[in-house]
Amino acid sequence: MFSTITRMIRYYTSGMHAFAMSRSRGWPLLVLLAAPSPFPNPAWADGRTVSVGVYENAPKVFTSDAGKPSGIFIDIIEQIARAEGWHLRYVPGTWAEGLERARKGEIDLMPDVAYTAEREKIYAFHKIPVLSVWSQVYARKGSGIQSILDLHGKRIAALENSLQLQTFTRLTNSFGLKFTLIPVPDYKTEFEMVATGKADAGLTNRLYGLMHARKAGLEDTPVMFDPAPFFFAAPRNAPGQLPEIIDRHLAQMKKDPRSAYYAAMKRWTSEEVEFRLPAWLQIFGFILGGVLLMSLGGSFILKHQVNARTRELQLVNREMERRIDDRTLTLQETNARLLTALEALAGATEHAEAADRIKSAFLATMSHELRTPLNSIIGFTGILLQGLSGPLNEEQAKQLTMVKGSASHLLSLINDILDISKIEAGQLELVPEPFDLRESIHKVAQSIRPLVESKGLTLSVQVAPDVGTIVSDVRRVEQILLNLLSNAVKFTDHGEISVRCVREAGHYVTSVTDTGIGIREEDLERLFLPFRQIDAGLSRKYEGTGLGLSICKKMIELVGGSIWVESRVNSGSTFSFSLPLERGST
Amino acid sequence: MKQKILYIEDNEQNLYLVTFILEKGGYEVCAARDGREGIDLAAAVKPDLILLDIQLPLMDGYTVARQLRSNPELAEIPIVALTSYAMAGDREKAIAAGCNGYIEKPINPDTFMQQVELHLPGREG
Repeated sequence: MFSTITRMIRYYTSGMHAFAMSRSRGWPLLVLLAAPSPFPNPAWADGRTVSVGVYENAPKVFTSDAGKPSGIFIDIIEQIARAEGWHLRYVPGTWAEGLERARKGEIDLMPDVAYTAEREKIYAFHKIPVLSVWSQVYARKGSGIQSILDLHGKRIAALENSLQLQTFTRLTNSFGLKFTLIPVPDYKTEFEMVATGKADAGLTNRLYGLMHARKAGLEDTPVMFDPAPFFFAAPRNAPGQLPEIIDRHLAQMKKDPRSAYYAAMKRWTSEEVEFRLPAWLQIFGFILGGVLLMSLGGSFILKHQVNARTRELQLVNREMERRIDDRTLTLQETNARLLTALEALAGATEHAEAADRIKSAFLATMSHELRTPLNSIIGFTGILLQGLSGPLNEEQAKQLTMVKGSASHLLSLINDILDISKIEAGQLELVPEPFDLRESIHKVAQSIRPLVESKGLTLSVQVAPDVGTIVSDVRRVEQILLNLLSNAVKFTDHGEISVRCVREAGHYVTSVTDTGIGIREEDLERLFLPFRQIDAGLSRKYEGTGLGLSICKKMIELVGGSIWVESRVNSGSTFSFSLPLERGST
Repeated sequence: MKQKILYIEDNEQNLYLVTFILEKGGYEVCAARDGREGIDLAAAVKPDLILLDIQLPLMDGYTVARQLRSNPELAEIPIVALTSYAMAGDREKAIAAGCNGYIEKPINPDTFMQQVELHLPGREG
């Protein structure tokens, strides 16, 4: 394909070459003839009819597909006719017919006639050639004709009675070559004969060859000869000075690169050459064009689809972005709220912790500040009662005993309040250690015995043989038992108080039973709530903060046990608590 | 010869009460009003037992106990803490600081001497 293109370019440049030659040849004449122009038009010229012969030798002169005479010579003569006001009448025919008509004066002008001295005798020629064209040998593709010598013995078609043929004959004769001449009326016939194999080669001018060879399936050979100038030929001695008028116009036209002359040359040479693409190239071009169109169309459709998809995707994308933005916003808001909440929580926690610290400090201070004066009261009362400061009389001893009792009661109240406060502040820490529960029970019972007996009550302690060591906080366990026993003594006026302890599935269950006033069923539920000493009426009779049982319950829970009560009004109550053998075993 | 008990206490009434009980019980009592003085006095008189109030000005009882224990000459002297602190871990903190015993205030005059004598080595056995 590359070589074909190169070849095409060669055709083109060859054409230009011919054209350039024609121009260069025209310039000297131009200088001579430019001066007298413009000539005044003769009066008789107006409305004059000029008959022009037409034969088929495209692109110089030919009949177009539409039946209209066309070509370089036609364009030029029509330009001149327009300028001169001529009316042109075309007379179609063969080359030979045209020459004959011009000779006889039947037509005014015959285009495309090469100047020869011989013709000069018959025709009148103008001076400035319309164009110069080389003659060239054309053959079928792959003919192998590379030089004039290859034409020896070949059948060669040529336009009859043409200068070209004469020159070629002279040329071949000088090389001593022989060939068989096949005379043809026109180049079209000639090319057909070469193409169909009736002739081996054909002679034509380059312009025609460039335009028609490829279409006919022929190619140019390197054999070129006799560049000849071509003119319009007029009948000799005809009136009207047609050659002079043509020369004048040609001189003018050749001076101006934008003139009709150059336009014609360009139109019928370069353009035609360029236009005359080989059939296969045209087909290829069509296919390529088709493919291009299809791919263009395809790509358009594809692009359309892609655009549509892109738009869809963009929509989806925008939707996604919108959603993400929404979510992000929501998340940010949630986050902000969370942060605010966390800050508030942190603040609250800090506040609570600060409050806790203040509470703890307050408890410690209160403990100290309340106990210090009590220390004096209890201490000095005790010293006096012991007689360490001297003997007391009976009344003094009785009164001091009352002071001591009140002080002890005040101390127990303070202790209760401190205990419940410590429990609620989480300040009550346990010290689990192994100890003998049996021993502890007896110890606590012994400590309460004087009080029991002072009320005329009896106290019995029954600890099962399998009760022994337990891991718990001994102080708290003893405190719980003492509290229950104190309550029993407080609410019992006659009868007995008994303490029992048995071992049950991982627990020791300790019970304190009294024969006291008992508790109504409706009061049992709130028995263990803080500050809930049942029956306001009783509170005067039975002193206490009402904290004892709630402290017991909380402590029991802290050591991993539980507490419960069974009671009947006026029959007595049984308070029981269980303790895991080892703390945390439940 | 009477056994000597050093009592470190800033409260006048408590100091008088405890000193009275101890002297009636047959002991010689040295009194210090703050931790610094207590430590100096302990080094000077080498008491048989130290009663130590925890709520002291300037230097608290725990610090005093630790400083007493850091002196090898005083390391063997029993220390009994006296405190109206009844908060969580008070007892443990006192023991950890080097105290041998712990008596909660207010003291019970009926049992106080017994509680103190529990920690006096000379009375054991």
